[in-house]
Amino acid sequence: MRLLLTTLLLLSSLNAESGILDIKWPKPNPQQQKPSIPYPSVLTEGIKNTKLPVYIPSSLAYDKKMVVVANKNFYSISFLFQGATLMVSGDKTFQESIPSSNSDFQKMMKASPTVEFMEEEGMRSANFNRHGVNYELIIECEKPKTDTRCTEEQYIRKLYSRLIMVGGRP
Amino acid sequence: MRYFLLAFILVALTACATKDNDKVEQTWKGKGFTYYPSGTLKPSNSGTGRRGDNYIYAPNIRFPLAYAPAYINSQVYGVGGQFGPRGSLCDKRNYQYPWRDNYCEKRTRGMPLCPAGVGHQGVDIRAKDCKDNTYYAVAVEEGVITYIGSYSVKLRGKSGRTYRYLHLNARSIQVRRGQRVWRGQKIGRVSNNMGGTKTSIHLHFDIKQTIRFGNTSKSVYVPPYSSLVDAYKRLLRGRP
Repeated sequence: MRLLLTTLLLLSSLNAESGILDIKWPKPNPQQQKPSIPYPSVLTEGIKNTKLPVYIPSSLAYDKKMVVVANKNFYSISFLFQGATLMVSGDKTFQESIPSSNSDFQKMMKASPTVEFMEEEGMRSANFNRHGVNYELIIECEKPKTDTRCTEEQYIRKLYSRLIMVGGRP
Repeated sequence: MRYFLLAFILVALTACATKDNDKVEQTWKGKGFTYYPSGTLKPSNSGTGRRGDNYIYAPNIRFPLAYAPAYINSQVYGVGGQFGPRGSLCDKRNYQYPWRDNYCEKRTRGMPLCPAGVGHQGVDIRAKDCKDNTYYAVAVEEGVITYIGSYSVKLRGKSGRTYRYLHLNARSIQVRRGQRVWRGQKIGRVSNNMGGTKTSIHLHFDIKQTIRFGNTSKSVYVPPYSSLVDAYKRLLRGRP
C-alpha cells in the first residue's frame, strides 16, 4: 500500500521534459588532449562534432578497429575483442525531469551510488556521471557464464579506472 | 482501540489495492487482448514490481515485434522456466493472454527504480509461437544503431532513449553499427541466443533513459510495460 501510494504520488510529479544537461567541463589535461602519438583518425574523425567529454579506456585509444557512432549530443564507441565486445558511451541528453518538490523520487535516485558496477543479462557494466554527463561502459561476452570478464566485476573495474579523455569540445 | 481500528483500515485498504491490481483488464474484447496492470508480477515470490506505475516513459513507440500476437510474460517463473511450473518452454500456456509485467522480477542487477533496489531490467516478450528465428523484432522509433554484440543490439532513438534488444539470432541481424533506421525497420529475428549459453526463445527488451533531478541526473532502465501496452494496442488497431 505504501509502495502504491508512494508510486502514485511520485509519478504524478514526473515531468516529461527533455533537453540537454549542463556540462562542467574539466580543466584541459595537455597529455590527454594532445597525445604524443596522434589518436587514429577513426576516433578523431568520429568524434569531431561531439560536444561532450569523450572517455575511453587508455589501453584502447589506439585500436584502429574501433567503431564510432556519434553526434553532437552522444557518442558510442565499441571494440571487438576475442570472445567479447566492449562499448563505452556518453550522452548529454535527458528525457525526464523530477521537480525538486518530489523528494521521494529524488531520494530513490540519489540512494544509488554515483558509479554503479552492475551485472546485466550476462554482461558487466559501469554506469557513472562525470562532469554532468552520463556514461556507460559495458562488456558482453560470447560465453557469459564462463568468461571471467563477464562473470567477475574486476575486469570492468579495471577498465573504468583507466578511462582517459580523448576528445570532445564545448 | 483507536490504533487497532487504524491498523485494521490500513490492512483492509492494502488487501483492496492488491485485489484491484490483480484484476485482468479486459480492454480489447474484439482482439482478445488482456493484461494485468503494470507491476503485477507473477506470484510465487517472483519479486516486487512497480505496482500502480502506469506512466508511459517512452510515449508513442512502436511495438518491438513486427506482428501481433505477442506475449509479455516471465521466462523464469513461467511454465518450463527455472522457477516455474514443470513443462516445456513451448507450452501453450506461455503463449496466451493476459500479459504479465516482469520488469523488476527477482534478479541481482542493481535497479534504482525497483522497490527491492535490484531486479529485471526490462521485459521478456514471446512472439506468436515457439518457432525459432522466425519473427522479426523491429525498431521502436527512428534512430541509429549504436552497438551490436554477441546477443544484443542497441538502438538510440531520436528521443535520446536507448532501446536494447536481446537474444536475436546473430545471423538474422539486418542492421549494422552506425546505421540509421526508421521506425518499424527490421532489426533481427527472435531467438534464444545468449552467446554460448542458450536461453528460451524470446526477446528481452529494455529502455534506458536519463532522468534529471535537481542539478544532477542518472541514466536508468525505466519500466517499459505501460509503454508497450500502449504500443501493442496501436499495433492491434492497425496503426503501429
